[in-house]
Amino acid sequence: MQKFVSQYGVVFVLVLLCAYYSFATLNPQQPSDAATGRNLAEFISKQHPTASVLIVVRDSDDDRAYAASIQQTLEAANIKPLDVVAGEPRDIVGELRRLGTAGTKLDIIATQHASAQWAVLGETKLKELAAEFPSLSNVQVLKPSSYTWPTFLTRGNLLSIGNQVAVTAIIAIAMTMVIITAGIDLSVGSLMALSGVLAAWTIHRMAGDGDPGMMTLAFACSAAVLLSALIGLLTGVMVTAFDIPAFIVTLAVMRIARGMAYKVADGPSPIGIESEAFHSLSAGTMFGIPNPVILMVVLYVFSYILMSHTALGRYIYAVGGNPEAARLSGVPVKRVLLFVYAICGALAGLGGVMEASLFSVGNPNSGVGYELQIIAAVVVGGTSLMGGKGKVLGTLIGALILAVISNGMYLTKVDSYTQMIVFGTLILIAVLLDQLKSKRWKF
Amino acid sequence: MFKRQRQWASLALFLAALGCSRGSGVDVSVSVSSNSNTTTAPAHGGGEVSKKQQGIIGFSALTLTNPFFKIIAENMAEEAAKHGYEVIVDDANRDVKTQSEQIDTYITRGAAAIVINPCDRLSIGPAIKKANEAGIPVFTSDLQCVAEGAKITGHVGTDNFGGGKLAGEAMIEVLGEAGGKVLVLHFEQAQSCVLRVDGFREVIDAYNKDRESGKIEIVAQLDGGGLRDEGFKATSAAIQSDPDITGIFAINDPSALGAYAALEQAGKVSQVKIVAFDGQLDGKQAIKEGKIYADPIQFPDRMGQITVQNIVKYLNGEDFEQVTLIPTELYRKSDADKDPELK
Repeated sequence: MQKFVSQYGVVFVLVLLCAYYSFATLNPQQPSDAATGRNLAEFISKQHPTASVLIVVRDSDDDRAYAASIQQTLEAANIKPLDVVAGEPRDIVGELRRLGTAGTKLDIIATQHASAQWAVLGETKLKELAAEFPSLSNVQVLKPSSYTWPTFLTRGNLLSIGNQVAVTAIIAIAMTMVIITAGIDLSVGSLMALSGVLAAWTIHRMAGDGDPGMMTLAFACSAAVLLSALIGLLTGVMVTAFDIPAFIVTLAVMRIARGMAYKVADGPSPIGIESEAFHSLSAGTMFGIPNPVILMVVLYVFSYILMSHTALGRYIYAVGGNPEAARLSGVPVKRVLLFVYAICGALAGLGGVMEASLFSVGNPNSGVGYELQIIAAVVVGGTSLMGGKGKVLGTLIGALILAVISNGMYLTKVDSYTQMIVFGTLILIAVLLDQLKSKRWKF
Repeated sequence: MFKRQRQWASLALFLAALGCSRGSGVDVSVSVSSNSNTTTAPAHGGGEVSKKQQGIIGFSALTLTNPFFKIIAENMAEEAAKHGYEVIVDDANRDVKTQSEQIDTYITRGAAAIVINPCDRLSIGPAIKKANEAGIPVFTSDLQCVAEGAKITGHVGTDNFGGGKLAGEAMIEVLGEAGGKVLVLHFEQAQSCVLRVDGFREVIDAYNKDRESGKIEIVAQLDGGGLRDEGFKATSAAIQSDPDITGIFAINDPSALGAYAALEQAGKVSQVKIVAFDGQLDGKQAIKEGKIYADPIQFPDRMGQITVQNIVKYLNGEDFEQVTLIPTELYRKSDADKDPELK
C-alpha cells in the first residue's frame, strides 16, 4: 500500500482530478467550425431552398472561417446569401435596418451560438424590427445544435492549462534539484522579474524604438538568462563557501534582485517591448502546441535523463541524502551545490524572459510570490524538503495538479477565498503524504 | 473501495455522455412570424432557447481584499441579474498573470462579455487581444488599459482629474487664509492617482497665482503605496524633514489613515489637516471622527451598474458612451453626521 502511494500517488491524484473536473464541467458546447457551418448550410438548402439568408458572425478569424464555409456551401446549392455581417451587435442592427428600409425580404439569419445570444438576435428585438419593417416579419434565427462535452477537456482549455503551467514547471525543475540537496531557493520570483526587465531594457537600448532584429533579441535574452545564472552561482558560493543557510542567502538575494529590477526599470512601471518576433517566443505555436509547452517538455526530458542516468544526478541525490557520507565517498559536494543554484538562477531567468515575451513587457512587479507556488509544486510532486528524495517528473505532475485545480475551480465558479483555502490544504496533504511515505507517522 | 467505485461510476457516466453527445443538427434559436405567436420551435433535438439565462459576464477584479472592487462586483451582479445575465467574479490579486488566466477561462466558457480592472495598463494587452480574437467584447472599469492593439469596447471610471480638483478646493477650504505647507502622498504606479494629483496641483497653482501671502506650498510628494503602512512610513519621514507642514493630500483612504497614525505618534494631529480620496467606509468613518477633513468620494456602485448597462446596450446593438467618467462629490463631516451607514 505504501509503495503504491509513493510510486503512483500523485499520478493517481492528477487522473482523479481530471476525471472529476471533466465530469463537473459537462456542459453544452457550441460548435462553430467549418464542418458545422457546412451542416447548417445543407440544412438550409434542404429545408428552405428558396430562402433569403443573412449570415451573422462575430469579428474574429474563427467566425469568419465559419461564415465562409456557410456561404460556400449555400452558393454551391444555388442560394446566394444576402450578405455576411462579421461584427458587433450594432453592425447587425444597422444591417437589419438597411434590409428593412430597402424592403428586402429576409427569411433566415444563419449564425452561431455566441451571436444568437446577443439581444439583437433575441425575440424582443426581432419582433420590434418585424413590426417596423414588413420585409422582416418572417425571420428565423438558425444556429448549430449544441453537444455535451466537458469544458475542461476542450482544446482551448487544455492549451491554456499548458500555457499556465509552463513557466512554473520549468523553474520547478531546478527547484526540485535544489530541494533534493536539502536546500531552498526563495529568489526565483525576483530573478524572473530582474531577467524580464533586463531583457526588455537591453532590447530597448539596442533597438531604440525600432523593430529589434533577431540578433538583438537573442543577445538580450541570453544576457538576461546568463546574468540570472551568475546570480544563482553567487548564491551557491555563499551557501557553500561560507556555510550560510540557503534560506537566508536566497531571502537576501530575493530582496536584492527585486530592488535591481526596479532600478533597471527606473520605477515600478514596466518596460514595453514592441516586437512581434519577441512576443511569438511565448505566444507562438509549433504543430498547434504552444512554444512554452514544447520547451517545458524538452527541459523535462533533459532533466529526467540528467537525474536518473548520469553521475551528476546521483551526486545531487547523494549530497541531499547525507553530505558528509557523500564527501567521504568522493562526491564533489561544493561543485554539485554550485551547479544546482546556478541552474536554478538560469531557469528562473529563462522563466522571466518567457513571461516578458508573453506579456510583451519587462515588468519589475512580476513573479511576486512565485517562489512559493513553485516550491508548492515541488512538494506536491512528492519531493521531500528534508532532501535526498524526489523526482523531477513528480514535480511536473505536482505543477499540473496545482494548475488543473486552479483552472477547474475557475471553471466550476469556486470563489477566490475558497481557492486559497483549497491550495493551502492541498500543500498540507502533500506534506502528510510525504510523512506517510517515510513512515514517520507516529501516534 | 467506495472512492474507487465512485470514480468508475463517474467515468462510465462520462463515457455515456460522450457516446450520445456529438450531434450535427441545427437549432432554431428564434423564429418571428407575422401569422402566429409561437416564437420558438426546435428543428430537431432539444430546443435551445432559454429566456431566463442570457449568458455570463466574466469580471476579473483587481483585488477583492479592497472593498471598493467588491462593491463594483456586487452591483454588477445585481444589475446583470435584472437583465438575465450572470456575473462570474474572480480575484486577480493584482497579478497580471492571474488576470490573464481568468480572461482565458472566460473565453473558454464563452462569456457574452468580459469586464476587468486591469492589473497593469500595458501587460494585460495580450490577454485582451485574445478575447478580441475570440470576438468577445472587453470592458474596463475604474482602471484603464493603454496597451497598443488591445480593443476596449467600453470604460466606466471615476473622473479622477475632477476629483483631484475637488480635493484641492477642500485643501484650500481647510487651510484658509493662512495657507501653509502640504505633503502629497502619491501612488504613481496608478494612472488614476496621477490624474488625482494633477487635478489637485492645478487648483493649488491657480490659487497661489495672484497671492502674495498665504500661499499653499507643496513641499514634498512621497510614495504612500496607497497602503496604510506605507502611508505611515512616508508621513513619519516627512514630518521629520518638514516639521511645520499643515496639510496632507493622500490619494486614497488607506494611505490617509496611515498618515493619521503617523501624525498621532508625532503629536501633530491638530496641526495637520488631511484631505483624502475614495470615500470607503473606514474613510467616511474617519471623516465623521474628524481624522480626515474631506474626501472626494467615488461611486463604485454606479460604476458597476453603468458597466452592465453598457454591456446590455452593446449586445442590443444600441449606442452607449464609450468612456463614462463618473464625477466625484466632496464629502465632509456634515455629510458624515447624516450618513446612516456610519456609527
